[in-house]
Amino acid sequence: MSFRRISTSGKGKRPVSFTFDGKRVAGYEGDTLAAALLANGHMVLGRSFKYHRPRGLFAPGNAEPNALVTLIRGPFREPNIRATEVEIFDGLVAESQNRFPSLRYDISSLNGLAGKLFSAGFYYKTFMGPGIGPLRSTKFWMLCEKIIRRAAGLGRAGLAPDPDRYDRVNAFCDVLVIGAGEAGREAAETAAKAGLRVILADANPPSDLSIEGVQTLSRTFVWGVYDGNTYAATERVADHKSSRTPGEPRQRHWVIRAKTAIHATGATERPIVFPGNDAPGVMLASLLSDLAARSIAPSGPVCLFTNNDSAYQTAADLAGLGAKITAIIDVRAEVSAPAKALAKVAGAELITGAAVSGTEGTNALTSISFQPFDANANALTGEPRKIECAILGISGGWSPAIQLASQAGGKPVWSEPLQAFLPPDPAPGQDFHVCGSAAGVFGQEDAKADGARVADIAVAKLVGIPIKTAPAPASDPVYFAAPVHEIRGGSKSQKAFVDFQHDVTADDIRLANREGFSAPEHMKRYTTLGMASEQGRNSAIPALAILGGEQGKSIAQTGTTRFRPPASPVAFGVLAAERYGDLQPDRRTPMHDWHLASGATPYAAGLWHRPMIYGRPGETIEQAYVREARAVRMGVGIVDVSTLGKIDIQGPDAGKFLDRVYTNMFSNLAVGKARYGLMLREDGLVMDDGTTWRLGDNQFLMTTTTANAGKVMQHLDYCLDCLWPDLKVHLTSVTDQWAGAALSGPFARKVLETCVEGTKVDTDALPFMGIVHGTIAGLPVMICRLSFSGELAYEVYSGAGHGQAVWDALMQAGKPFNITPYGLEALGTLRIEKGHVTGAEIDGRTTAHDLHLEWMLSRKKPFIGQSMMNRPGLTDENRLSLVGILSSSGKPISGGSRIVEEDELTEPASSLGHVTAACYSPALEKYIALALVKNGKSRIGTTAFATAPLTGQHVPVEIVDCHMFDPEGRRMHV
Amino acid sequence: MRISCPHCGTRDLAEFYYWGDATRTMPELGSTDEAAWLSHVYDRPNPRGRHKEHWQHLGGCRAFLVVERDTATHEIFSVIFARHAKTEASK
Amino acid sequence: MSDRASPLGPDFKPGQYGNLADGIGVHLSETAFGFLGEIAAFPDALDKIEKRVSSASKSEAAAFKIAANRWFLAGPATLADAVRAKLKPADGSLVDLTHGRTALRISGPKAEWVLSKLYAIDFSPATFATGTGLSTAHHSIFTQIYRRDAQTFDLFVFRSFARSFWHTLQRAAEETGYEVV
Repeated sequence: MSFRRISTSGKGKRPVSFTFDGKRVAGYEGDTLAAALLANGHMVLGRSFKYHRPRGLFAPGNAEPNALVTLIRGPFREPNIRATEVEIFDGLVAESQNRFPSLRYDISSLNGLAGKLFSAGFYYKTFMGPGIGPLRSTKFWMLCEKIIRRAAGLGRAGLAPDPDRYDRVNAFCDVLVIGAGEAGREAAETAAKAGLRVILADANPPSDLSIEGVQTLSRTFVWGVYDGNTYAATERVADHKSSRTPGEPRQRHWVIRAKTAIHATGATERPIVFPGNDAPGVMLASLLSDLAARSIAPSGPVCLFTNNDSAYQTAADLAGLGAKITAIIDVRAEVSAPAKALAKVAGAELITGAAVSGTEGTNALTSISFQPFDANANALTGEPRKIECAILGISGGWSPAIQLASQAGGKPVWSEPLQAFLPPDPAPGQDFHVCGSAAGVFGQEDAKADGARVADIAVAKLVGIPIKTAPAPASDPVYFAAPVHEIRGGSKSQKAFVDFQHDVTADDIRLANREGFSAPEHMKRYTTLGMASEQGRNSAIPALAILGGEQGKSIAQTGTTRFRPPASPVAFGVLAAERYGDLQPDRRTPMHDWHLASGATPYAAGLWHRPMIYGRPGETIEQAYVREARAVRMGVGIVDVSTLGKIDIQGPDAGKFLDRVYTNMFSNLAVGKARYGLMLREDGLVMDDGTTWRLGDNQFLMTTTTANAGKVMQHLDYCLDCLWPDLKVHLTSVTDQWAGAALSGPFARKVLETCVEGTKVDTDALPFMGIVHGTIAGLPVMICRLSFSGELAYEVYSGAGHGQAVWDALMQAGKPFNITPYGLEALGTLRIEKGHVTGAEIDGRTTAHDLHLEWMLSRKKPFIGQSMMNRPGLTDENRLSLVGILSSSGKPISGGSRIVEEDELTEPASSLGHVTAACYSPALEKYIALALVKNGKSRIGTTAFATAPLTGQHVPVEIVDCHMFDPEGRRMHV
Repeated sequence: MRISCPHCGTRDLAEFYYWGDATRTMPELGSTDEAAWLSHVYDRPNPRGRHKEHWQHLGGCRAFLVVERDTATHEIFSVIFARHAKTEASK
Repeated sequence: MSDRASPLGPDFKPGQYGNLADGIGVHLSETAFGFLGEIAAFPDALDKIEKRVSSASKSEAAAFKIAANRWFLAGPATLADAVRAKLKPADGSLVDLTHGRTALRISGPKAEWVLSKLYAIDFSPATFATGTGLSTAHHSIFTQIYRRDAQTFDLFVFRSFARSFWHTLQRAAEETGYEVV
């Protein structure tokens, strides 16, 4: 075993038992999965992406590239979770990934022998295949992809749905402090003392120290910055628990709008790249410190390899815990006196001017080789020497965690002494401050002072008092790094990995550069470096050094890539959050429950649920709608039209306003009358149609199609706010105020006569397009005589809360006439027979002429769309225009069919137009359709074919006038 | 993006509906100036940088707003009610 | 009780639900106001209408501004007549939405927390004072929210969305435990 647990007593931590790869493992409460596994002797925790190489723990927290596991909750699998971020609990089940049959013995690791095959761009170059032939390009790739995906890749997702729930919460504050280290805590306390509303978010479990006046969010990782200082974070609410309380989310999506933010996000240690650097046991020195803080220390011989002084303190600390530090290998020829002293404390041999050049050990490190190194020439010299070593701690210097600052800022600033990028200034419209090691201010005391200093500035800016511009503390030279990021040469047979997670080597980066992918953004995409879940935390700086080195440029000249959200992976459930099921709300009419109880098949029309048919046992959809439509023509039917858009239009200028937005005149409409209206867009195409009722001198009720209700309302809002603010008109959506039931059929009036009180409904009292007010079942109703079906028909409107009662009364009154409820299919059938248009024809491409509605274009007044509607392209006689289509063969016509002249299915066919709606017509006793056809009028009386190549339908049809049934409209005027 | 509605205060982008360029003026209804209409309907400046746009506060007071912002950085310079835009402009 | 049918239908089930370990976080209910509506003023009559609204809403009615020239009204049936009386068409307009909006009430120590899950609104008393209201939306569900007291909010949603929203509200309240009353 390379690690041991120093003490289990401490705070009297509770033992915890969990399962890893099917075996029970013991740990202690507060352990991460990674720490518990390491303490139990698991050195290999993952297999690499391409080469299936055994990999061990490498970095602390969210920088860990190797130890990815799948967590299993019942049938649900959550892959690619970093073992360093999993808190263990009783009953946790985790599984290693990307290995077969086991972590220690993996068949695909043979890929490593064929390493050349898998170099950068390999997939694309090799598997795009020949440019011609049956396996050309993408087809060949698709074939190979399946095989490759099995071999390469990370964890496997399951098919079971996620049993957990997620939540979103919206938060607001003056100051959001990110990171509860020394700097962050001090900044939060300072801002809270100044009386500001402060949220402190930290990725770690809660500490015992709470700060007065600060809302602290623990286990909360901030991963995104959006415009206007909006921050996105994930709180792991229950990930560390073995059970959930009712309604408890697993994770919570915090959306925090802050007036300003203080990033105290810390810094991460960087590796130095060298041959054989991925042997399990090679790890960042900071991981050793992190483990030591969790009472887990190395038990085998330890070496450290560094380009800076910070690793010396780690060596001394580990020695203090009883670890055996064999050697400290430093690339620098000279090191500081304090470093030398620390090496002595650690009892380590100090080897300066040297670098590690190779490793031994497959599943665990056994020894390392090092050689003299010339830091100025960046080259190995002399002969290698080998020493026994179980753990190699490496430190290539420290990089401030600038992910969030980069998302919300400009270009990061290169620091030569730190060999790292410092956070950029905020982009316009953003406001944040960075403090502590995230700003290059290391060391506890310095960071704390910096937190207070930056908070003072933030407070002064928010409160509007003069800002004291104290200078930031200088970076402690302990963290200055020699500009050495990669050791070249050395063990020729060993790969030097830059991105462990995607198996990108130093050679891959050089290859990318040779092949022309020399810009960092291009190299990144070609090699996939930095695109895995640790987002380049380990690889970015070494990769830029290597790329720049090839081009003779410094890192400052090469520049870095821009960070984008999320800074760490986010579960999809977190993003869906409080939206569950089908993620959309639904809208129900007042009669919804009745429809379902009466056998309706619901149909989603936008967010609305509407009855499609009221099927009887054994009926097909067609049989049901044909029965319903026939009942309307022969007797009387009733349909729920509550979904129609309804807009209350009030004001002294309401009539004038309608004259401008409708093509026809409304100012002269009498009170108590309705009129069919047509609306054009500014460009002259049809926008919507509907009837508008005049309820008073200054009040109209406009109806719109169900689908366009929102759009029309917005258009009218626009007209009043932006075009004619001087008009005195108010608009209010009253769609939901009214329940609507349309009664149609020869007996419709008889039904009303039976149940309506307080008004007559005969032709004198209620002529076509007339409106009356009365009561049904004692409830107030408004009845308008208008017809979409072409039959004698009425729309009965009542308050939505009375809708069901009025509907019941109508059904009762209709019983002697065998009243039949009908759904959308029958509604569609009736209107197709009549040639009435809907959204299928008003498709944003048709004009009033195309739909034969030119009679509605007033010449007496100007209206929107008038000036553009007569442009040559919109009046061309060869435009598609509305016709009726009759099937000549008795075969059905599919909606969406193309109209063609060819009598056989040919490819390509020359389309004359398309079918917009089709049905079986009980009135005409054949399959019919509406279609938009080139120069439609001139084709009336000719034949063609309705073709649907996808379904193989090719139906001979006759083109007729769109008003296929009762063209004179006698039936509705009775 | 967060937009400060003159009535409702600062709200999330999700409450607002983008309506487009606010620098055009519609010709008088009934105008037969074809060029003016074509320009009004089809010519949309799409600058990188400062621009005035119509946004409707659909999830709030429903008012149309004129938002002056930088299309590249999303920095917002001013927000006024569209119905006041003409009077504001003539000030 | 009103003669209006509730849009919540069979999905309104009184009882206690969710995590009751720490007591009941919120109470959820539907309020059957006698009148719901909106009154809007034309520019030159803004002050006049504002006065009318504030005097009419003195009793137990709620009246709050939802747009630069518009107020939402919720109260007894007599409220409509009080506001409508002598309202000149040139000054403004009144729209009856008694059937068109559904009033849901959320009340309790966790009311702010539950609402924060659904709306991007700062519910802290310092920014959302008692006796004020606003318009906002939870995705497609447009909502007018009125703060009745420190722990009580009235939510006015479109009737057709009410049942769907009721489910969303219940789900959001599960974590803190809730009672439907």
